[in-house]
Amino acid sequence: MIDLLNQRVNRPRIDFRLITGILGGLIFCLGVALLAPFFVSLIYEESSWVAFLITASFSMISGGLLFYFFRPENELRMREAFLIVTLTWFLGSIIGAFPFTLSGTLEFYTDAVFETMSGLSTTGATILGGVTAEGVINPAIEDLDKSLLFWRSLSHWLGGMGIIVLTLALLPLFGIGGMELFQAEYSGSTSDKITPRIQETAKLLWTIYLGLTLVQALLLWAHPSMDLFEAVNHAFSTLATGGFSTQNSSVEAFNSVYVDVVIILFMYLAGINFAMHFRLFTGNFSSFFRNSEIKFYTLLIIIFTLGVSLALFILDTYSLADSFRYGSFQVVSILTTTGFGTDDYSLWLPFTGSLLFLLFFTGGCAGSTGGGIKMIRLLIIVKNIRREFKQILHPQAILPLRIGDRLIDQSTLRTILGFFVTYFIIFAIGALGMTFLGYDFLSSAGASIASLGNIGPAWGDFGPADNYAGIPAAGKWLLLILMMVGRLELFTVLVIFTPFFWKN
Amino acid sequence: MKILIAGAGEIGYELSRVLSEEKHDVTVLDVHKDALKKVTDNLDVLAIEGNATSPLTLVEAGVQVADIMIAVTSVDEVNIIASMMAKRLGVKSIIARVRNDEFTRPNAPITPSELGIDVLIHPELSAAKEIHQLIKRASASDIVSLADGHIQLIGVRFEQHSPIVGKTLEDFSGLYDSFSFRVVAISRRGTTIIPRGSNRIMALDQVFIICKTDNLKTLIGAAGHQEESIRRIMIAGGTEVGHILARKLNNDDQKWEIKLIEPDPDLAVDIANELKNVLVLNGNPTDPNLLAIEGIQEMDAFISVTDDEESNLISCLMAKHMEVKKTLALVSKSQYVPLSQTIGLDAVVNIKAAASDEIHRQIRSGNLLTVKALQGINAEIIEVIAGNKCAVLNTPIHSLKLPEGMVIGGILNNGSSEIATGDTVIRKGDRVIIFATPKAISKVEEIFK
Repeated sequence: MIDLLNQRVNRPRIDFRLITGILGGLIFCLGVALLAPFFVSLIYEESSWVAFLITASFSMISGGLLFYFFRPENELRMREAFLIVTLTWFLGSIIGAFPFTLSGTLEFYTDAVFETMSGLSTTGATILGGVTAEGVINPAIEDLDKSLLFWRSLSHWLGGMGIIVLTLALLPLFGIGGMELFQAEYSGSTSDKITPRIQETAKLLWTIYLGLTLVQALLLWAHPSMDLFEAVNHAFSTLATGGFSTQNSSVEAFNSVYVDVVIILFMYLAGINFAMHFRLFTGNFSSFFRNSEIKFYTLLIIIFTLGVSLALFILDTYSLADSFRYGSFQVVSILTTTGFGTDDYSLWLPFTGSLLFLLFFTGGCAGSTGGGIKMIRLLIIVKNIRREFKQILHPQAILPLRIGDRLIDQSTLRTILGFFVTYFIIFAIGALGMTFLGYDFLSSAGASIASLGNIGPAWGDFGPADNYAGIPAAGKWLLLILMMVGRLELFTVLVIFTPFFWKN
Repeated sequence: MKILIAGAGEIGYELSRVLSEEKHDVTVLDVHKDALKKVTDNLDVLAIEGNATSPLTLVEAGVQVADIMIAVTSVDEVNIIASMMAKRLGVKSIIARVRNDEFTRPNAPITPSELGIDVLIHPELSAAKEIHQLIKRASASDIVSLADGHIQLIGVRFEQHSPIVGKTLEDFSGLYDSFSFRVVAISRRGTTIIPRGSNRIMALDQVFIICKTDNLKTLIGAAGHQEESIRRIMIAGGTEVGHILARKLNNDDQKWEIKLIEPDPDLAVDIANELKNVLVLNGNPTDPNLLAIEGIQEMDAFISVTDDEESNLISCLMAKHMEVKKTLALVSKSQYVPLSQTIGLDAVVNIKAAASDEIHRQIRSGNLLTVKALQGINAEIIEVIAGNKCAVLNTPIHSLKLPEGMVIGGILNNGSSEIATGDTVIRKGDRVIIFATPKAISKVEEIFK
């Protein structure tokens, strides 16, 4: 990727023309994507078609012009890639927010940006259906135009698409937070090598993503409680592990075991590394089922499902069937950082709730659409702790860290520990910021981790039955920044704010 | 036979000694004067100074008329090049020592024969294999499978409390008359006895017995050993032998608990990264503190395979002192081998002997099938096929006049095996297992022509 000798001699350290050109291309693509909700609004004869048409044409024209005048000529370098990735999510939210305000649905632009960032970062936190700090009542989800509902789900789906490529094709090249682990995963053996070129990789992974989305949409549509529109929206939301629903009461509204099971299954699949899905579809079952991260992920889901369900059964005196139905759904929903709800977990007894609260600090597998700390990092940290104990008993032993058959070298371990510590520092800063705005400790901590981990619903004032409407604008910006930082694996965004980044 | 040996290192020297004792016409080639001087001072061989990769030197050393060339310098590449040249120059068969296992793997891109090498030997691998065998059969000091595994030769030390100590061999066989076995040699304080029925077994004798595989346990019991099951193993030294051994144990189905101590940090890291089931410790294998922390008292076996043979013996002694059941040292000076009995080690593995064994086996592959030299004893096991002109056919063994230093141990006939007794008769086509001192080997060849 960085072919130094073929670079022009006078190439600037950070080539802003290149960045502008590529961003222009991406904005143009966003405009094209915005045509989808525009057509939805035409189908349902909604007045919001104007808003979508304006935004789409603005994006396409401005993006197209930027791309045309700053046509990328140089090879992309690391610093430029960081800027582009961060700006993509940021500008995406800035532009993607237009339809909400242009259509007159939301009064405040901050709310619109919050909703769009929540979508693109696959968080699923909403400001709809609540009263803002200024006293304006935001419309309830059910009262929204279908085209706007569709745009919310689509923003999830696009965000998920972006994140798969980012984590499996781009970040590994820069070794962010141990992400190179997943790159090496397939370059290790030549037989099942996903083609190293980002474009090819992206196409393969998107095909799988699209395929899974289609299957889930069809399965959901097959149930009488869902129409095609709702099936598609929920499939978008599930595969991206987002959490936006077309109903205020989320998946609970459909009150169907069948729907619950389908969504659990696809949340589980969406939480798995998409490179692994690729292997599964090419018939390489052994590498899928022997993958340590998938095993750890599945094990954690089973343990927590049992724990939460039994706690619901014994402590909260749910019926056995209900315990498992609601227990498993919430566990998978939170662990994969989706954030759908079938039951209000904030009403559960403290122990049951605490069990679920632990899952706010997990996240899906790396290379999935899930956010959070990620399974592989937790697994490596757990193994490292185990190793530290062993080292105390055998001071002179050489104890390599292994995940499956793969060795984890010291530098990878260091970046992962660095990630872990940074994650908690940012979580603490976010929680502190929210308490400054007057929220209680649990609500603040919950909102911070639910945003940083891209989960969505939190605790206290921001429980699954509540929303984020009432937060002052500063708080909304804080949380939406947390969403972006968490979504982009922290360092991608944070590195831009270090002095080293700009220094020669 | 005319034999050219390239390399007068430890293995080259040992081979020159053994082969010249067997009256072969041996020429030794080496670049180092000192090494050659040691050879010419002690052995009846021709020594030539020069590089084995030089065609002129090879010709000077008589490569064109030699029957066998043995390339055993310390460098793989020299051995390979010397072999390729010698093949061109017309040597009939070539044996070379190559440590790199890339040539012997299943799908090797280049096979040894493409390099002119007829037999590729790897002494460290052989030594590791032998240690591996000894761990699996913990009470024996030596163990050799014969006749496709039907018959075993074991070396076992008779302990003070063994009921057999003080008895004659006749009494010994009288006590265990339900099956047949044969004591073929006794090593006592460094001297080898090829025993007769009237010889007595003394405490701490190293006794070599040929028996059927099924009866091994009983005989080991008679020597005063319980069949020990070994699980916890400590290997001192991540040398080539240690590394290969650890790899073999690591890949075994059996659940060993293996600790390996290696002083070199880089090597230790390499081994730790490669072997999942081995706990690698970076430290000095003779450091008593480290051994204590890592629980040497709880080990079932302690195997010392560092490059320093003296420290191998010392650390094995320490382990023995800590009552480790099985201690095993790698030595390369043959003079040290008899020491093992005196100081009570359970086994020593001699890497030179392992190499010369392997080469020996190849040289005598006429009608002598396999040859194996034994540690600490000046005798070898040979398998021969009784041919047409064999001088001992169809006569019971007790009425044969066999030369001094030779014992017939067993007979294999159409897949059925038999331990030789006085009444046993050798028939044409039988495979005969013979135990003989080096001097008697040529006579064995004569008899079984």
